[in-house]
Amino acid sequence: MKTKYLPYLLLIPSLLYLILFFAYPMVESLQLAFRREGQFLVLRAEPSPDADATGTLELQTDVTVLDRQQLEETLANGRTRPIYWFQVEGVDAGGQTVQGWAIQTNLFIESRTESTTARVTGGQSTQEWTLDFVRRMLSDYRFGSALGTTLLLIILIVPLQFILAIIMALVLQAEIRGSSLFLYIFAIPLGISDLASGIVWYAIFTQRGFLNSFLVGSGLLQSPFIFIRAGNESWMILAIVIAEVWRATSIVMIIVVSGLQALPRDYVEAGQVFGANLWQRLRYIVLPLLAPSLQVALILRTILAFQVFAVVVAIAGREILTVLAYETYRWYDPQRYNNTNMAAVYAGFIMLLSLGISLFYLRAVRSQEEAAQAL
Amino acid sequence: MTDTVLTPASSASAASAPNVSRRRARFRHNLRRASIYLLAVVLSFWILLPIWLIVVMAFSTPDGVRAFPKPFFPSPVSTATLQFFINSEGILRSTLNSVIVAVLAVIISTALAVPAGYAIARFAFRGRDTVRLAILSVRAFPIVVLAVPLAVVFLRLGLFDQVYSLAMMHAALTLPTTILVVASVFMSLPYELEEAAQVFGCTRLQAFWRVVLPLAVPGIAASAVLTFVLSWNEVFAAILLTITNRTLPAQILYSLDKSSDPFKFAGGFFMLIPSMIFIFFIRRYLFNLWGQLNK
Repeated sequence: MKTKYLPYLLLIPSLLYLILFFAYPMVESLQLAFRREGQFLVLRAEPSPDADATGTLELQTDVTVLDRQQLEETLANGRTRPIYWFQVEGVDAGGQTVQGWAIQTNLFIESRTESTTARVTGGQSTQEWTLDFVRRMLSDYRFGSALGTTLLLIILIVPLQFILAIIMALVLQAEIRGSSLFLYIFAIPLGISDLASGIVWYAIFTQRGFLNSFLVGSGLLQSPFIFIRAGNESWMILAIVIAEVWRATSIVMIIVVSGLQALPRDYVEAGQVFGANLWQRLRYIVLPLLAPSLQVALILRTILAFQVFAVVVAIAGREILTVLAYETYRWYDPQRYNNTNMAAVYAGFIMLLSLGISLFYLRAVRSQEEAAQAL
Repeated sequence: MTDTVLTPASSASAASAPNVSRRRARFRHNLRRASIYLLAVVLSFWILLPIWLIVVMAFSTPDGVRAFPKPFFPSPVSTATLQFFINSEGILRSTLNSVIVAVLAVIISTALAVPAGYAIARFAFRGRDTVRLAILSVRAFPIVVLAVPLAVVFLRLGLFDQVYSLAMMHAALTLPTTILVVASVFMSLPYELEEAAQVFGCTRLQAFWRVVLPLAVPGIAASAVLTFVLSWNEVFAAILLTITNRTLPAQILYSLDKSSDPFKFAGGFFMLIPSMIFIFFIRRYLFNLWGQLNK
């Protein structure tokens, strides 16, 4: 009886923790991306808080005072004091001119009895669903280049990583002496952060870096070539691609090797017996059997590639090249834009792309399997 | 590594052949071996050379770092650049923050994952597959997506800019993988051991505590190291969730465009080294840890 509930008891802390840190932020994220909190002044048809609303004005709107009326306000201790209502006219958020009564506490006015202009300084808090943040992201001048650079990096990085990872895995599988040492060496980048990798390759590609030292030292160039500068984006992209391939191929390699180890060896031996050469064995036996492992690695690597951030900052700086994850940070940064709504929209966009690409891979690989079965 | 995907011309066909063709097969076999070796060495160079270059920079004098053309060996060997980096403002403090965050993340994620992993490994209960699937699906969740709303929530709750809130976030990121790894560690231990302990009078808890857990410690430790490395390396959430209590990567990233090359290169080296050492210690467990991603 006791053991019936035991597994649930053991799981509950972890599940609660995951809900707290994954599900709850997702809800919060939706709120940030699609909901605007604001204060609006609601204008009334009569000088009374209960009268019908005639329109709303945003804070800081300048208004003209058309009329004023002095009323009595009863305080908590039973005494009364004069309070003014003003009939004002102003332009609302939609560009319409609206007119109505507002109480003095919501307006900034120099003289209650004489001024003819005032400014809206208060009102009631409202919340509304809006697509404004999404529109603003889509029309932002850096959005296009951020999306373009991110996609370009993925298209260049992911295939290179897979080719290199499969080569590494096959070398390890060949059972040469010292293969455990080679495995350790190939696995070293697993522990290297994207920032550290960016700095390492910056040291190579910078103007006075190792690549120029080699090129000039060996006489191939007369003077150093400036790889990293505005107008030289393709070299910067290349440096970022190399840094990412260098750092993040290991994880694919590990997944491929564990896939290879699970492979039934009879299949490959049968291929050998029937005289298939290395390429044929690879193309028609090993790779199709590896498809599930490759699919997992592909989804993982692509999702991670959408988040490429520190490598770009380390190699290309903050201004010349931009990627989606950096835009998220730029909008969030309290010392710059300090706009969490826009940051949430960018983050949501990255989420959508990651989800879409995962589903695409899942479908693509499955339909390949189905096609293979149909044959 | 018992498979032989690449091994050429199986010995069965060579054995029955005449002497000459056997020698030729042997020659081809050796040639292929040699080319695989060459490939392995080239790939090792590709991995190790950039690391060597950053080591050269870190152990050169600041003048050596700025020199052009750069030497491919540090001359003279000096710790001046590293000392300059470590004594820079905020570095010692942020290193300490990084260590605290990583240690807290390890403690939280291990403490939660051990019971959960044990439940998945040892019990057949309703909803087990659903739980496994849910854990699998959040494993590759983008950090970028979580960090922004969490920063807002933390700000509202007054947890913003605290090392422990960042540690909680890092623990959440590694928890799914840690649960799966720990579950696989428990699955690899025979259940009979626990039964035997219970037959000899242990309660279930005692059997777990005295028999199963000690046997599982190496695997759990390896996954703890994985969590530590992830937390030590993580920069996006770190830079979003902290301002005055920055971790080392966040501090370096933040000051990157204002800092000199000696600072950057020494910083790169400083971040690289602990990770390399940790990977060395858990190299036996690499496939248990990352192979899990496959299932």
